[in-house]
Amino acid sequence: MITEEIGTFSDTVEEAAPVEACTKCTACNTVCPVARSTEIFRGPKFLGPESERYRSQPEAAVTAGLDLCSGCKLCEVTCPSQVTIQEYIRRAQNKGAEEKGRTLRDWVLGHTRLLSRFGSMTAPLANFGNRNPLVRLVMERVLGIHHKRPLPRYQWLTFERWFKRNSLSPRGGGSGRGGLATHRTVAYFYGCWVNYNERRLGEQVVAILERNGIDVIVPKQQCCGIPAVVNANMDLARKYGVENVRRLNGLPPGVDIIASSTSCGLMLKHDYSHLLDIPGAEQVGARVYDICEYLWMLHEAGELNLDFQPVTTRLLYHAPCHLKSHGIGYPAMRLLRLIPGVQLEEVDEGCCGISGTFGVKVEKYDLSMKIGSRLFAAVKAAGSDAVLADCETCRMQVEHGAGAHSAHPIDILARAYGHG
Amino acid sequence: MKADIAVVGSGLAALVATRTLQQAGRNPVLIWPGLSSLYFTYATVDVLGYSDLTATQPVEQPEAGVAQLIADHPDHPYAVAGLDALRSGTTLLIEWLRAAGFSWQGSLAHNLLLPTAIGTPKPSCLVPDSMAPGDLRRDEPIVFCGFHGYEDFVPELAASNLSRSWGRGEGSVRAIRVSLPGFDASRLFTSIDLARSFEDKAFRQEVASRIRREISVDGHRLGVPAVLGLTHDSDIHSSFATQVGHPVFEIPTLPPSVLGLRLFDRLRKHIQESGVEMIWAAPAHEAEVSDGRCRRIFLKSAGREQPIDARAYVLALEDTVDGALRAGVHTVVDPFFHQSLAHHAVPTERTDESLFKPQPFASIGYPVTDRLQPSDDAGRPLAGNVFVAGGAIAGYDPVGTKSRGGLAIATGYRAAKEAMAA
Repeated sequence: MITEEIGTFSDTVEEAAPVEACTKCTACNTVCPVARSTEIFRGPKFLGPESERYRSQPEAAVTAGLDLCSGCKLCEVTCPSQVTIQEYIRRAQNKGAEEKGRTLRDWVLGHTRLLSRFGSMTAPLANFGNRNPLVRLVMERVLGIHHKRPLPRYQWLTFERWFKRNSLSPRGGGSGRGGLATHRTVAYFYGCWVNYNERRLGEQVVAILERNGIDVIVPKQQCCGIPAVVNANMDLARKYGVENVRRLNGLPPGVDIIASSTSCGLMLKHDYSHLLDIPGAEQVGARVYDICEYLWMLHEAGELNLDFQPVTTRLLYHAPCHLKSHGIGYPAMRLLRLIPGVQLEEVDEGCCGISGTFGVKVEKYDLSMKIGSRLFAAVKAAGSDAVLADCETCRMQVEHGAGAHSAHPIDILARAYGHG
Repeated sequence: MKADIAVVGSGLAALVATRTLQQAGRNPVLIWPGLSSLYFTYATVDVLGYSDLTATQPVEQPEAGVAQLIADHPDHPYAVAGLDALRSGTTLLIEWLRAAGFSWQGSLAHNLLLPTAIGTPKPSCLVPDSMAPGDLRRDEPIVFCGFHGYEDFVPELAASNLSRSWGRGEGSVRAIRVSLPGFDASRLFTSIDLARSFEDKAFRQEVASRIRREISVDGHRLGVPAVLGLTHDSDIHSSFATQVGHPVFEIPTLPPSVLGLRLFDRLRKHIQESGVEMIWAAPAHEAEVSDGRCRRIFLKSAGREQPIDARAYVLALEDTVDGALRAGVHTVVDPFFHQSLAHHAVPTERTDESLFKPQPFASIGYPVTDRLQPSDDAGRPLAGNVFVAGGAIAGYDPVGTKSRGGLAIATGYRAAKEAMAA
């Protein structure tokens, strides 16, 4: 009897991990930086797969505690059964927000691009306001943005406009200006951060690629959508994602896509197709590389220009949580160790605590600093010229919490190429 | 990504293989999915606890026991790896533990006999200092101490079971419970939360004084669940024992295993600091074989499959939990070569109804050649440069014979040596 009944099931092994794949091993709770830092958070195991078994579409979402999930994804990285813990939490949180509405603050933070565009257009004023204690107090009261959290500095000249004016690449054809003749063309997904806050990083990315004989094109693009995802606005994230997927799928075949922000890259590679179910996203994801991953690939192919000037410096490397989700190891460390003079050590103390917009919020700021406290202590104890991290908000947090100078790994590589 | 030798896995076999390669001047990369398999085990090194699945008397001398096992069963994975691999691998591990700052006890000459969380005696070969005072070859009476609200360790159950098999007379085994500051009944917590709290000195002192009030007589030893700190085990353990005023021993509990976490985290950091590249979060599968050699394996990275192109590969995964095996309803396959490793017409044949009996699924794994290469039905290697180590090897039950650690060491060491020569 048993044989016959079970025999009707397919014997193929399930590839996607459904909620039943969770064996309740508690691995996720063990590594969750939030659960480590506050006992009021019940942890990814309970809020993800265990609650998921009781969630149903017609019923109202139970959202208690979900907002404490910072979205670092270490739970998914850690799960031996590849359960999509984060996706359960995000979907439930989004459903709750659709039913009950979202706060003005979460709406604003989800619209990072809009906010940044405004900040960039009014750059001197916005920067003054972001550093003015009185303005910050008002922001805390009205918007719920913690007054102690340093906000990023906006720049008037965006990367997009800079590229149009300054790049010497012949945009989508011909050969690059570097010494090596290759056939590679890449499309740069620069993201909101490079566009509105750190144009210099984008300039360095372009310079390094061109130095390696690669043509850089900059397709028109939207926000990757991750601020919207973590602020329970999946419709908005999907809208952005659909637009990006459409534009990126329109790139000529053979053009690789690179991202210099860990989290933007992860959205393009993975979350568009999995969390947001965007048609055509898998084709995009398969073409996306983190900038350091891409340069390392060039190195392995013997195509990386190794004509480095020595950079005598002592550096620490902090691996962003979302980089772990890429599943590519730490290519930045491999890459920088090629440069003479560079002394590089990993500071392996887990999540920095900021998690994008999480640590900006008035009720999360203290928690975010507590999560990062181990990292801050280790950074201070080790001492260094700079702490490197591929993720922009990790860099903000390390500077704020440890008082250390922070930079993208690309900054060191650019110096080695003489583009410091 | 290119690599010299890729080691896939995160348990003891993978760590020993990686260390062996690194000590020999090679350049291994360590790859694993999810949390280390050590988080799900006792994390003691059990070389041979029982000579076979029907034995009732524990093995006293593991090295002699393994030699006998090899003589009796020339196909056993211990026989394939060889006694020398066990000896050399054990020496390597003991030296590594010392270098990484651990304080462990034991040798291949004698097993310790330690009480489990349910009060059964379990033979182990190498154990942390914090467990050793529980050795049942000693006679001091035992007090099991549980904590209110922590349900993964029930001291009354451990005491009643142990007094039946070990009792040294009236009152030689008993149970107490104390409450913990900050852990009331409404709070959900695991061994990990407790271990974090035990890192706090004031917390520890308060718990020690509550325990002291419960034990009035001298000469007892105290068994507590293994929650005495997540990282600095020996310091916390010895200071806690001094505060309690009795020898204290830790007892491994249900996963997540604090002992496994301590062991893995420190060995991982130690080997990483010495320059070994690690890629985690990426399940490995799909061996691409041509001309009898594995050219690449693939990682399921975000967005696409990431090829790992190494000269040789050590597959040191443990079981279905960490992706060494894929179990369908009837068939168990290996994810690298897609060989069928077991087929059960009736799926329940895979298990025994009694949870405490040896489980048939425990022996399912990769058949190997005499060089630990995965082999086909005819015993021919599937790839000349791939070697299997640890729990994924077919033909033995690491749980039933209490031999997971020793086999991990012996096969991890031997697989690494073979990989260097491949």
